Amino acid sequence: MAKLKAFTQEWMNAFRQRIADSKEYREIAGNWEGSVSIIINPDPARGVPETVYLFTDYWHGDVKDFLVCDKAKAESADFIMSGDYIRWKQIARKEIEATKALMQGKLKLKGNLVYVVRNVKTVNKVVDLLGEVDTLFPDD
Amino acid sequence: MPGGYTGLFLTVDLISGKISRFVLEEEFFRLHIGGSAVAARLFLDGFPLDCDPLSGANPLIISTGPMTGSAFPGTSRFSVCARSPLTGIWGESACGGTFGPELKRAGYDGLIITGRAPFPCYLRIEDGAAEIIEASEIWGKDIYETTDLLWSKHRSCRVLAIGPAGENLVRFASIGNDKGHFAGRTGLGAVMGAKNLKAIAVKGTGHPEKADKEGFKQALRSAAEEIRSSAFAGSLHAMGSDAGMDLGMMTGDVPIRNWTVGEDYDLSAALGGPALTEKYLVKAHACTHCPIACKRVVRVAEGPYRTEEGPGPEYETCCTFGTMIMNYDLAGVIKANELCNRYGMDTISCGSTVAMAMELFEKGLLSGRDTEGLDMAWGNMPAVFTLLGKIARREGFGGLLAEGSARAAERLGSAAAEASVHVKGLELPMHDPRAFHGMGLAYMVSNRGGCHLQHAVMGTEQGMVSWPQVFTMKDSYTGPESEDKAALVFHSENFGILGNSLAICHYVLYSLKPETVLKAFNVITGFGFGFSDLMVCGTRDWMLKRGINNLLGVTSRNDALPKRIMTALTEGAAAGSVPDTKKLLSEYYALRGLDKQGIPKEDRLQELGLDALNRRLAAVRAAEPVAKEEMKWQN
Repeated sequence: MAKLKAFTQEWMNAFRQRIADSKEYREIAGNWEGSVSIIINPDPARGVPETVYLFTDYWHGDVKDFLVCDKAKAESADFIMSGDYIRWKQIARKEIEATKALMQGKLKLKGNLVYVVRNVKTVNKVVDLLGEVDTLFPDD
Repeated sequence: MPGGYTGLFLTVDLISGKISRFVLEEEFFRLHIGGSAVAARLFLDGFPLDCDPLSGANPLIISTGPMTGSAFPGTSRFSVCARSPLTGIWGESACGGTFGPELKRAGYDGLIITGRAPFPCYLRIEDGAAEIIEASEIWGKDIYETTDLLWSKHRSCRVLAIGPAGENLVRFASIGNDKGHFAGRTGLGAVMGAKNLKAIAVKGTGHPEKADKEGFKQALRSAAEEIRSSAFAGSLHAMGSDAGMDLGMMTGDVPIRNWTVGEDYDLSAALGGPALTEKYLVKAHACTHCPIACKRVVRVAEGPYRTEEGPGPEYETCCTFGTMIMNYDLAGVIKANELCNRYGMDTISCGSTVAMAMELFEKGLLSGRDTEGLDMAWGNMPAVFTLLGKIARREGFGGLLAEGSARAAERLGSAAAEASVHVKGLELPMHDPRAFHGMGLAYMVSNRGGCHLQHAVMGTEQGMVSWPQVFTMKDSYTGPESEDKAALVFHSENFGILGNSLAICHYVLYSLKPETVLKAFNVITGFGFGFSDLMVCGTRDWMLKRGINNLLGVTSRNDALPKRIMTALTEGAAAGSVPDTKKLLSEYYALRGLDKQGIPKEDRLQELGLDALNRRLAAVRAAEPVAKEEMKWQN
C-alpha cells in the first residue's frame, strides 16, 4: 500500500482508523473525553509553506472527528499542542517521545495539564498509533 | 569581594561559647564557587575527617552559594554538611526555603558550628551579631512548635530547627526550615542534636552586591519568560514534584513493595500528582523568589487521617509511604509526611526503613514480639503512625529502625540484608535503576551514597532536558540500557553537582536554558566563566568529596548496587533489565580518572589544583583502605 501524504484528510482518516481499530486504546482511554488539536509551524525549506491545523476528538475510548481544519477550529479544541514541523516528524517516527519533547520545550501544550498527566497512558498510546500510519512527509 | 558573596563565615564553638568570623578570598570561591563544595574544602582542610559523626568534633557546616538570595529563581538554597551519622562518609543535604537568603542578608556566606554545648541551646544571628541562647523552653518540641515559638520570640526571623528525632540522634533525622522546607538526607539533624543545638534563628536586612545590576535584570527577564513557557515548570506548578508519578509508572521508574514489583497503575492513580491536586491541594507554595512554586500546601479535611493545613508530600514521600509500603490511601501519605516533618525525619530513609520492616514482617524475620505488637502488614498506616513516634523517640523497636535500614538489617541477621536497599548506607531515592541504568551508575558513585540530586542524570537520561551546548549528549536515551550511559553520567555529574555550589534548584535548572543560568552567575559574581570553567569546578567538587570518602575508607568495592536492584523485575517497563554495572563502572572510572581502587589518580588531582588532597591520598593509594568504625553498612 502506498504511503499516505502527511497532514492530508486521507492521512487523518487512516490515523483515526488506527485508533478506532485498537482494542488496547479502547481499554486505556475509557476515561478520556476531549478534543486535541495539533498545530504544525511552517517550515518552507522542508515543504511546509504554511501553518498546518489538525483537529482530533476522543470520547471515552471512541474516536470522533479527525479533520484537517482552519485556525479557528483548531483553537476551539480542549487541548492544543503546537510545535515545529521537524519535531512532529520526529515524534511520528518515534525518534523522540512526545512527553520528552514537551518537557524540553520542543512542543507546547495549552489545556488542563493535570488532566493530561492523569491520562498520560492514553496520550502515549495515541502517539504510538500515529507512528504506525505509513506516512510520506513533505521533505521525504 | 566579588558580587554574590559576603566573604564571611561565622564560626561558633558551642563548648566555649566563642563566636568569631573568618574571611574567604575571591580565589577560593573561583575554585569552589559555594555551597557544599566550599563546605567540603573547609571540612577537608580544617577538621579531623574520622571524627565520630555524633560527637562535638564533627563540624556542622552551613553554606550558601553566590546566587543565594539574589532574587534569581530557585536560588534560595543552602547546603548543610558534616560527616554523616547515617553513612559515616561525607554528608550533605541541600534545602530551599528562606534560611539561605536570610543568612546572606545577615552578612554571612556560611556558618561552621563545632563542639557540643553543655546545655540545650539555639543560635540567634541578626545582621552580623550572634549569640547562643539557652533552649530548655523548646527542647523536646517538634519542628512546627519550635518554629512557632522562635517566630514569636524573634520577630521576622527565619528558622532552622530539629525535632525530637534530631535530639534523640535518629540517624536519618532532618532539619526543617520554617516548617515547609527540609534538609532531609544523610541524617544531619542528628549532628545538630549531638551538639545540643536545637535551632538557628536568623534575621538580616542587608543586600548582597551584584557585579552587573543591569545584566542581572536582563537575566531575570529571560528566566521569567523561559519558566512561563516551560511545560516542565508548568507541571511542577500544577502538581508539585509528584507530577511525575503517572509517567514514572509507565517507564518503570517507580519502586513498589520495597523494590520487588514492576508496575501497579492503581497505586499511581491513587497517589500521583493529579490525585494530590484534585483531592487535597489547598494552594501552591514557593521558596523565596521562585515563580514555579512546586511546594504543596495540603489538608486532609476529614477521616481517620485528618491533618491541619500544612506542607504536603513530595514525589519521593508519596513513594516511600505509598508505593513502597503498598498504601493506596493518599491521606495516609499526607499524615505520615506531617509526622515526619514534625518529628524531623527524612521521609526517604524513614519510609524505606519502614518498607524493609514490612517485608521482614511478611517473611517472618520480624514477629509481633519484635515489633512490640505492631502489625507491620503492608499498608497498615495506623501501625506506621505509631511506629514513626517510636522511631523519633527511639523507643523499643523504633530504636532499632532509628539506626537506618542498613544497620537495622545487619542486627537482624544476614537474611534481612536484601531488604535494605541502599548504596553506601543511604537508602535509595525513588527512581529505579533497572528502568534507567544511568541512574544506577549515578547511585553507585554519588558521594553521599545512593542519591538522585548530586548530578543531573534524572533530567538528562529521562529526557527532561537536552544540553548539547554544555556537553556532548545524544538526542535521546533509552532508559533500560547501559550503552552510552557512563559518559552521560560523568558529564551530568560535573554540571548537575553545580546546583549545590551555585545554589540553584534542579527544577529551575531544568526549566531554564543553561545559557541563562550561566549569565545570571556571571552578572552576579563578575567571574566571566564559560561552561567549561563551570564544569571544571564541578569536577573539582566531585573529586574533593570522593577524596574525603577515600580517606574515610571508601573504595571501588563500595561502588555497587544492592542485590535487590540487581534482581530483574518480571513485569512493567523495566522487566528483565538490570544495569550492566561492570561496563558502566569501567567506562566511568576511565572518564573520571579513578584507579582500580576507586581513588582519584594523581595527575587528575594535580590538574584540578588539589595538591594537598593528593598528598593525603598517597598513603591510601599505597595500602588498601580500611573502612572506619561508623561505616557499618559495607556493601
